[in-house]
Amino acid sequence: MGLAAAKNKRKLGTDPNNTKWSRNTETFGQRMLRSQGWEPGQYLGVQGAEHAQWHTEANSTHIRVVLKDDQLGLGAKRNNGDECTGLDAFQMLLGRLNGKSEDALESERKAREDHKLNVYVERKLGTIRFVSGGFLVGDQVVDSPSGKKEVSQPSSATGSTVTSEEETEEAAPSKKRSKKRKTAEDSSDGEERKKAKKEKKDKKSKKSKKRKAEAEAEVDAEALSKEKKSKKRKTTDDSDEDASSAEQSSKEADIKESKAERKERREREKQEKQERKDKRRAEKAASKSATESGDDTSTEKKRRKGNSASMATSGTSTPVLSGSSTPTIMGSSRYLARQKFIAQKKLAFTDSTALNQVRSSPYPLVLYFGRLTLSDLHDQVIAGAIDCVRVSALLFVMIPNGPEFGRNHQQRYIIPQIRFISLKRGG
Amino acid sequence: MATKRSSVEEDSSSQDSKRVRMRKGADAEDEKFNPYLAHQYEEASNANGFSSPLDKLERHKTTAEQASKCEDSDLSPWTGQPHSQRYFGILQGRRNLPVQKQRQEFLDMYHRTQILVFVGETGSGKTTQIPQYVLYDELPHLDGKLIACTQPRRVAAMSVAQRVADELDVKLGEEVGYSIRFENKTGPKTLLKYMTDGQLLRESMHDHDMSRYSCIILDEAHERTLATDILMALLKQIASRRKDLKIIVMSATLDAQKFQTYFYNAPLLAVPGRTYPVEIFYTPEPERDYVEAAVRTVLQIHATEPEGDILLFLTGEEEIEDACRRISLEVDDMIRESDAGPMKVYPLYGTLPPAQQQRIFDKAPGPLRQGGRPGRKCVVATNIAETSLTIDGIVYVVDPGFSKQKIYNPRSRVESLLVSPISKASAQQRAGRAGRTRPGKCFRLYTEKAFKKELIEQTYPEILRSNLANTVLELKKLGVEDLVHFDLMDPPAPETMMRALEELNYLACLDDDGELTKLGSLASEFPLDPALAVMLISSPEFYCSNEILSITSLLSVPQIWVRPNNARKRADEMKMQFAHPDGDHLTLLNAYHAFKGAEQNGQDVKQWCHEHFLSFRHLSSADNVRAQLKRIMETHDIELMSTPFQDKDYYTNIRRALVSGFFMQVAMRESSNSKVYKTVKDDQLVMIHPSTVVQSPYDWVVYNEFVLTTKQYVRTVTNIKPEWLLEIAPIYYDIDTFEKGEIKSALTRITEKIRRRQAMKGGR
Repeated sequence: MGLAAAKNKRKLGTDPNNTKWSRNTETFGQRMLRSQGWEPGQYLGVQGAEHAQWHTEANSTHIRVVLKDDQLGLGAKRNNGDECTGLDAFQMLLGRLNGKSEDALESERKAREDHKLNVYVERKLGTIRFVSGGFLVGDQVVDSPSGKKEVSQPSSATGSTVTSEEETEEAAPSKKRSKKRKTAEDSSDGEERKKAKKEKKDKKSKKSKKRKAEAEAEVDAEALSKEKKSKKRKTTDDSDEDASSAEQSSKEADIKESKAERKERREREKQEKQERKDKRRAEKAASKSATESGDDTSTEKKRRKGNSASMATSGTSTPVLSGSSTPTIMGSSRYLARQKFIAQKKLAFTDSTALNQVRSSPYPLVLYFGRLTLSDLHDQVIAGAIDCVRVSALLFVMIPNGPEFGRNHQQRYIIPQIRFISLKRGG
Repeated sequence: MATKRSSVEEDSSSQDSKRVRMRKGADAEDEKFNPYLAHQYEEASNANGFSSPLDKLERHKTTAEQASKCEDSDLSPWTGQPHSQRYFGILQGRRNLPVQKQRQEFLDMYHRTQILVFVGETGSGKTTQIPQYVLYDELPHLDGKLIACTQPRRVAAMSVAQRVADELDVKLGEEVGYSIRFENKTGPKTLLKYMTDGQLLRESMHDHDMSRYSCIILDEAHERTLATDILMALLKQIASRRKDLKIIVMSATLDAQKFQTYFYNAPLLAVPGRTYPVEIFYTPEPERDYVEAAVRTVLQIHATEPEGDILLFLTGEEEIEDACRRISLEVDDMIRESDAGPMKVYPLYGTLPPAQQQRIFDKAPGPLRQGGRPGRKCVVATNIAETSLTIDGIVYVVDPGFSKQKIYNPRSRVESLLVSPISKASAQQRAGRAGRTRPGKCFRLYTEKAFKKELIEQTYPEILRSNLANTVLELKKLGVEDLVHFDLMDPPAPETMMRALEELNYLACLDDDGELTKLGSLASEFPLDPALAVMLISSPEFYCSNEILSITSLLSVPQIWVRPNNARKRADEMKMQFAHPDGDHLTLLNAYHAFKGAEQNGQDVKQWCHEHFLSFRHLSSADNVRAQLKRIMETHDIELMSTPFQDKDYYTNIRRALVSGFFMQVAMRESSNSKVYKTVKDDQLVMIHPSTVVQSPYDWVVYNEFVLTTKQYVRTVTNIKPEWLLEIAPIYYDIDTFEKGEIKSALTRITEKIRRRQAMKGGR
């Protein structure tokens, strides 16, 4: 883990595995075993026993486990939350370089976007989705007739399979499916459930509103291509809002609502302030780079075209914190800071003056791409090497940006940003 | 033994009196050698001379029909008393169990073979019914041999025995009894005995052929506890010696093939459980926080799924209590904000008091108002609820994929409970819990890929995960000479075996040729770790066996200190009242003495414990253990004595006695102002656990356990003097065997000091 991780220092002895003992052939234990006919490398137990076919490594040496001291779910990686933004676009570039067909790339992109949408919806609604793994019949996992795979099962198979209509809708996220199923089963019940769901949402309305405010702020600033999407999101929000407000009959809820609104307003104001500040900063940066611009104008046009394309892609890559469906706690200061930071980055993208300045930068951007091995950049920034600042105004935005600076997040974000630029050149 | 039995068979039940007389004769000669057998000879179950429908039956030739007829009769075939009304009610239920359909098939197979592997899922009724089927076939009242049925858990042995006693309409402790560590509820009439596997193992130490039993049923063999594994290996040996002994191995999972192969390709009888399909769901992505995800899933189920109870698997007490709290809070919110149904949340883990464990069987709450949403219950459990325990009404299972498992590392000699991923077999077991009453759903909080790639096939049996010192001692006592070729189903790692032998050798339980010493033989009489047993046995040498007995009991029960989250500070203050500056062992002793004092003063002990942040349950169980151990000490003439409390050596003696057992668990401070200690010989760097009362850092400490978390800790430490180490355990502390280092030089210095002091004394 990088610099951002919690410090977990641990002093190890000179021989933590105590190989000194295990190599010692003179110990009483080893003497005893040898005297009874054991040779190093052999299993204990009857030699050539029939059940020895099931012996595993655990029978020859002690079981090794990884000490788990966190609450990370099974299969989750520790730094899942700090996933590079927009790595997908980079993948596309690589795909193109490797000669993948446009169709394949498109379908991949689509899959990714679907996934992103799912993650977004999940975070918004706070659900946990499951994919079906078939039916457990007796001791055996059996797939439905439409199912494809069978879960590996060590024991002998018993023939019976169970079929179920519900199983047919395989690909849809289970959450959706169960909802669908239930509405089919009992529509009256469905109504109630919806209510409950909304209720749950209401609880979070404070939180989501905050998020919404931010989203709106983004919308204000963002390019047209992005707008469509966020509009969609907004409308869903609005509809939620409508539904919930219709639902709320009690006064108490109203009070809460107005409070939340006030808070929202305040939030928005803050946001705007921040924006203005950022803009100013971006302008400053742009002007700085502008002073250095002014030769290669022929490439400039090309670049501009490309840049707008990259803007579009960047627009779609909303910062997804993780692939995990556990909603991340938005209240955590770290995430707040990060969100702010991402919003600023986006702002920089959409700020046309700043971008123009970048575009007019004399430096071929590919150069930086090669240079930006993560730690290098970090060091250079610290050392105040000008190159780094010059990389672009895009980077500039985040470099002076307080709390994130000097952490490894920053390094992670840099690469994707660069990538957008290179992408435009490739495409 | 065989001749006596045949004679008994000849005269059958008509000549009861003669049989009894014969028994008495045998009694006199055998009793001396074998106290465990004494019980058998006294037995005179059917001597009261009533005619029973069983008289017509012939051993090992009965049929299901005959047995049913006996069960249907108005008089109990076992006691001669009329059956109660309740009996017939239960009988009706029993007849509907899945095993009942295959009773004849079972009997046919049972008659044909010596060893039988029986597979039936939980809920098939195997644990209660199969022993009764055997009872009606084995007719143990004829030859006085018992039927034993082992259970891995004490609670299971007790509750199942009670259930079977009810089913047979007899009193628990008479025809049907149980025997667990520290508690024996059997009588001279007992025919069917439920017991823990460990208890059967202990019995067999004195009866290598298990000659008391005509049939041994190993239940829940799939759990592969240490004792079950050893029993299987032993029974495999005994089966070839005693052809009349029948063995049934019962397992709940389909990995029975391994059992079959192991028992010379024994025939298999499988009874389908009464299960419904369970739909399994995975998450599309790994979860960042499995507890959080689990809580959310439970709430989501509560909000969106139809009626049915929820079972959530988590790893440990703290996690479970925390999750319970969070779920309850959220559900309350949910109810307040909408018309969600009520939900009761119950924790379930091993150290929970039995009364609270029982609450998981409560019915789910009803709807809050007429026609409202139905209520449900949610049980948050450790993997106790995975196999043995069946909770009715569970429809949804939430499985984060972790459990706390014991792991032993023979190199660092650390045995610890660690959270680790479960096995595929376990995951399937957990999912299966959802399909008991109707089709259910299992929500796995991991991806299908993780299921396939990250989970091992089968959970490792306990024998591969434990320190074997105690086991090796037991095996030696059981007469197993060749440990290398002992036919275990899963032989342990050679290094684990070496460590066990080595430890026993240092404790002088085994001599240098690997033979059991007198001390070792005595130590094996105690149901304790060898180190504790040795400490207890040698404590009279230090004039403090009473105190060491108390400490030993306190160390064999869970932590007696209660430290609730909301009152940590006060709990710590209370603990400091008992604190002894020299260490935690002595603090434990102080607390125990205070507890006994309060008891004698006639105070409300429960209240007293509550006020002092002590666990009444664990203290009283320590009290119970103490009484049992005291009895064992008395039977083996180990003197009970105390140094007078006023004597300045009162505590010193106790500390010295601690060293006599725990000299292999000693750590030395690395440098004079460091907090880091180094364990002797294994050179592991450790710190003293923050729960300690020891404030001034001592240079040498003896510790009770090694705790692995992010840091390595030693817990329950007591200050000692290095001189004692050299004096009490000179073989272990033979300076020539030490590697060069701080510990060696420290020990050398001390030897010098002792020599000089002695020279001075000699010169005077």
